[in-house]
Amino acid sequence: MTRTRIACSLLFAIVAPFFLANTGLAQDKAPFKTNASSIQILLVDSKEVTLPAEFQVSLYENLVAQVQKSGKFQHVYRDGDRNATDAQDLIVLHSTVHGFKMGSEEKRQVTTVAGETSINIHCQITDKAGKSLLEQDVTGKVRFLGGNLRATYDFAKKVAQIVSQPS
Amino acid sequence: MQEASKQMSSRRLFSGAVAAALTLLAIPCFAQSQAAQPGTFPGTVQVLGLEGIKNNASGTLTVGKGNLEFTSGKKKADVPASSISDVITDKDSQRTIGGVIGTMSMFAPYGGGRFLSLFRTKIDTLTIEYQDPSGGLHGAVFTMPIGTAEGAKKVLLAEGAHTTIPAEMAATAPEEKKP
Repeated sequence: MTRTRIACSLLFAIVAPFFLANTGLAQDKAPFKTNASSIQILLVDSKEVTLPAEFQVSLYENLVAQVQKSGKFQHVYRDGDRNATDAQDLIVLHSTVHGFKMGSEEKRQVTTVAGETSINIHCQITDKAGKSLLEQDVTGKVRFLGGNLRATYDFAKKVAQIVSQPS
Repeated sequence: MQEASKQMSSRRLFSGAVAAALTLLAIPCFAQSQAAQPGTFPGTVQVLGLEGIKNNASGTLTVGKGNLEFTSGKKKADVPASSISDVITDKDSQRTIGGVIGTMSMFAPYGGGRFLSLFRTKIDTLTIEYQDPSGGLHGAVFTMPIGTAEGAKKVLLAEGAHTTIPAEMAATAPEEKKP
């Protein structure tokens, strides 16, 4: 009986990190807590890495949609929105692409193991004055089901999880 | 008496078959006449970005009167062409058998789904960036039948949209090798 318990706990200890590694929560270094009522999301910067236009737009639109869906902020302002300048409790989300691997939907569907698309993005949250509140690397991936653009959805979901931690 | 009724029914069958054949022949002609309309791009899929339209909704993209209009069923979204700051075209491919059936087929035995994944249709992508009245940046991604995105871009530019990559440059640029 005791042996079974020990074996089970050992197995859990071995297996749990593999499952956690796939969740956005595992990427959190420290939980980000904010009382800000509004957020401005800037267009993803891709000067270092050449990113196809559809990926850049998809990253941005998915970010806006997922942060709005989280319900944490009263206002979610887009890049360039003039109303954001009057907002009091405003934080700004900057994202810079550091790595991009264009996979293949065909390869994923045929082989299951090959053809992964991944995007590595450095996210920075600042206050209105530009003071950094959080810096973190987030990776968006698509491994099996879905088109290449699904990696942008994966990334946006992880970022929305980070910014919408309860304060 | 019976023979007469048999003749009648065979005549009805014949006329029905002729009518069906004529209808089938008329469908492509009608589709062609629709596609021939300048600035109208049927078979477009709005991947994401337009407000009020669901992601991956298929419909018709119309460019004209200074507007880009996407219609999917009863839903409609308009973007003024003058507010479009960038129009970019690209090429991609998608599974010929897609949707729910395509996903279900992935679980078919003996790798049947994987085999079907090899059959792919080439598509064009059209990406636009535009600003709302308060200056907020929006983006939208469309997929269209192969060879139509460049035409859509030209019409959009003629209607007042802007681009960072001119249409001539995009046409002459070497084709990027995409997996």
